[in-house]
Amino acid sequence: MSDLMKPASIILLVIVVASLPFLQDSVNDEAAKFVSDSESSHDGLPTQWDGKQAICIFFPESNTHPEFSTGVTMIDSDGETIGVNDALNSTGACVGGFEGYEQGMDFMMDATRVAGGLLSVGYTMDPNWGPFVHTIGGLNVDEVQGDFSGAYWSLSHNGEYSMVGIGDLTMSQGDVISWEIATW
Amino acid sequence: MLDAHAVVLSPIEALFLNLSLLCIVAWPMWIAGKSLRPGNDLAMLALLALFATSGRILLDPLPNIQPVTVVVLLVGAHYGASRSVAFASVVAISSNLVLGHGIWTLYQALAWSLVGITGSSLSRIFRNGNSISIRRVGAVAFVAGFAFDWVVSISALHSIPLESFPVYLMVGLPFDLVHATGNLVFAVWLSGPLSEIMTRQSSQSKAVVEPVKNAS
Repeated sequence: MSDLMKPASIILLVIVVASLPFLQDSVNDEAAKFVSDSESSHDGLPTQWDGKQAICIFFPESNTHPEFSTGVTMIDSDGETIGVNDALNSTGACVGGFEGYEQGMDFMMDATRVAGGLLSVGYTMDPNWGPFVHTIGGLNVDEVQGDFSGAYWSLSHNGEYSMVGIGDLTMSQGDVISWEIATW
Repeated sequence: MLDAHAVVLSPIEALFLNLSLLCIVAWPMWIAGKSLRPGNDLAMLALLALFATSGRILLDPLPNIQPVTVVVLLVGAHYGASRSVAFASVVAISSNLVLGHGIWTLYQALAWSLVGITGSSLSRIFRNGNSISIRRVGAVAFVAGFAFDWVVSISALHSIPLESFPVYLMVGLPFDLVHATGNLVFAVWLSGPLSEIMTRQSSQSKAVVEPVKNAS
């Protein structure tokens, strides 16, 4: 009996592991339906970005970005600075006015490139979990020190903690994603 | 000059290296476990903890596949609830020294402890005449894969709101399935031999599956 169970269990495991990317895609698509609508996530952003895609990077008080240390700088998709919003109780930069992106990682890389190196992204590829972002705009998570165990770049999708990593994030029209330092 | 540390392994190569290391670790432990004098159950628990810890660390390249859940379940069935709780916590802490320690260690220790307690309360059910029922251990181990992951997922509530929790659990389902199927494999391959050496070493053999012959 168990002579048959041993090879059968291995074969079953191989099938499950092989179908893991497909299963992941299915649940991620399902999860994307639960992401709240993008309207209120545009609060504080330039009105010309309404209905378009944007990304914001917020830096912690202890490690402000040398170029974006007061308020949140709004950078249009053509690289022009629209203005600085001082009322967001945070410092950093947003790049917006994009359309048609479906994959979070593509969008992030293209949008941050518009800031001409000021917001460049560093990440490592994990074979199981996909891209892991460790650096944005020159701030590596290891540089963030304080009364906590560690820090990481935390991803939000339309204002809410993202259930999936940037490599699995599906973008819709008008979506806003943002990154800020969180600690554990 | 040749620098042996500069060899870069692909993920597949690293996995094969780790699997070979695990065999090298497990084989002498198996010999040592067999040659322990009966009643030496603490030494047996220490050997099993080393096996579970190195198994979890070395199988890290595989998503959510590791032997700890099944070993804890069997330890619960053979040595009782309190020892399995200590065992589960030691394995969680020592493997996380390598894999990364944080708030989740607490939840992993808690979840594996619950698996151990489940094993101890099901020890009679696991007994099948003179041997351990691989089918029943396998079924419980499969379910335990999901239950363990959901308990550990509670740690996410430190960073996400409660209303997002069902979606968080849903996104994790494929990985829960891999854990459950991996448990099934470990239960099928390990519960016979592990039950045999644990039964021989247990000083509280009333509560456990005994006397056990290797089920086949």
